[in-house]
Amino acid sequence: MRSIISYIRHMARPEWLKKFFFAKTAPLTTPAHFRDFPHLTDKECTHCFQCMMICPAPGAIEVIRTEKPGEWKPVIYPGHCIRCGLCVEICPELVLDAGRVHTKNAQDGTYMQFQFHITVNPVTCMGCGSCTVACPVNKEIDPQLAAKGTSTSDEVIMRVYKGINTVFHEDKCTGCKTCEEQCPTRSILVARVLEPLQLEEEK
Amino acid sequence: MKKTVDVSIPLGPVHPIFKEPCRIKCETFGEQILAAEVELGYMKKGIERIMVGRPWQEVMFLAERVCGICSVIHNFVFIETMEKISGVTVPDRAAYLRVLANELDRIQSHLIANFSYCYTIEHETIGMYLLNIRETVMDMLEYLTGARVTCAYIIPGGVRFDPDSEDLARIIHALDSVEQETRRYMGMFESGPLIGLRSRGIGIMTREQAELIHAVGPTARACGITADCRSDHPTYQKLNFVPLVRTEGDNYARVMLRFQEIMQSIGMIRTIILTLPEGKIRGGGTIGRGQTTHKGEAPRGELTYRIKSDTHGRVQEISIQTPSIMNIEACARYMIPGVTSVADVTSAYISSDPCIACTER
Repeated sequence: MRSIISYIRHMARPEWLKKFFFAKTAPLTTPAHFRDFPHLTDKECTHCFQCMMICPAPGAIEVIRTEKPGEWKPVIYPGHCIRCGLCVEICPELVLDAGRVHTKNAQDGTYMQFQFHITVNPVTCMGCGSCTVACPVNKEIDPQLAAKGTSTSDEVIMRVYKGINTVFHEDKCTGCKTCEEQCPTRSILVARVLEPLQLEEEK
Repeated sequence: MKKTVDVSIPLGPVHPIFKEPCRIKCETFGEQILAAEVELGYMKKGIERIMVGRPWQEVMFLAERVCGICSVIHNFVFIETMEKISGVTVPDRAAYLRVLANELDRIQSHLIANFSYCYTIEHETIGMYLLNIRETVMDMLEYLTGARVTCAYIIPGGVRFDPDSEDLARIIHALDSVEQETRRYMGMFESGPLIGLRSRGIGIMTREQAELIHAVGPTARACGITADCRSDHPTYQKLNFVPLVRTEGDNYARVMLRFQEIMQSIGMIRTIILTLPEGKIRGGGTIGRGQTTHKGEAPRGELTYRIKSDTHGRVQEISIQTPSIMNIEACARYMIPGVTSVADVTSAYISSDPCIACTER
């Protein structure tokens, strides 16, 4: 009985009543250090497509032309993005940012570097040349490839030479894997080799 | 399973206390359980098949998503396997930071395991308090890595972000409150008479049985087996890691062992933060060709990755062995048979901290 009275006395206090009826939970806020979906900064995109190449989730990022002539920008699809922040780390122009990724990278001097390697399986390659025609970099280097489908230039990434697809300049590859998609026998493979690095400390 | 009695009680796959679908079939004699069988296969993802043919930067995120609770250790072991294949070395600071993230992850995983146990024995109050502590740990994990669950912190040759002294001070400050609170609830769990009635002497597995069924992790260590992959890890050896062991082998021992390991992890994180060497966090290096097996200690036990990669570091073959499959079998064979009520079946099962998502992948 005594305890009931003490409870009632406790609850009849105006501050308790005020707290009971008017207390509100603090609104949920996303902390600033959370690595959210990447957002655009005002830097200019040079459409090197490295963010698309590094993205582990299929269809999460796309670099597309805007209405302004000559301007490109990356678009993030939040339904596909897994918020890994790799596109932010790889971008050389700092177009994207998420959470503290940039701040931390600038502090520590950390960055990532891409290398692309093309391997052609000589057994299954039948020298059809679909990959050389499809390659967007090839087309730019030798416009003849786009028009006629053949080339004699040695400046291209790869072309059919002596009946087999031969790689001339691996370093020009941008890792887009268009050739892989075009190959009817799956005999060309592009490896996206990523190396995480850090600048030497200045001391 | 051979039918010995006529009453066979299935629990699950949909059951209020199961976090993930799984069926336990119990042969009962009245309330007494004579035999049990665990039936898996309700949530196969086929994640290893998706990993094949991809480079590390894609497989890393898939590996994390094998398990939602212990994601850091999957990242850790996968990357260490790749490093072992290609001989990439890790700077000292990065090695310590990896352990720091891993131990934070272990704390939160053990807390959620103990929450599940308390919830199963209908002691939701302690359970919810434990989840409250877990939030603090998750916040610290988010502060360190940028994400709560799928942290993506560990990469070949190092880690992604380097915490400065301010960040470390914040982590150590948060750990003070975590330690204080955990000690309080550990005391409640230790001395609670009703908790004792539901936990002590229930689901007993002897040391011989645990050795026979190859139990791993806290389930094995609660039976007196000193098996912990962390004692083979060079960074943990530098931290003078000694595995904790209890000898009772019942539900109570398993839960208390997890509490003790939380305390141990907190101590280890303090040591790491105090003795963190200066230097680089990324050593560089690319992944090459090779094949190897590597293991690490997940919060639930021994986690093994076997990977074969090609010249440019793409995964050719991968197989993951997760700890829970051993512990689930140990449950069905030794812990559950012999309990005196059907209500204790679920608590014995949950006390071994089964993770079906890991097991079926």
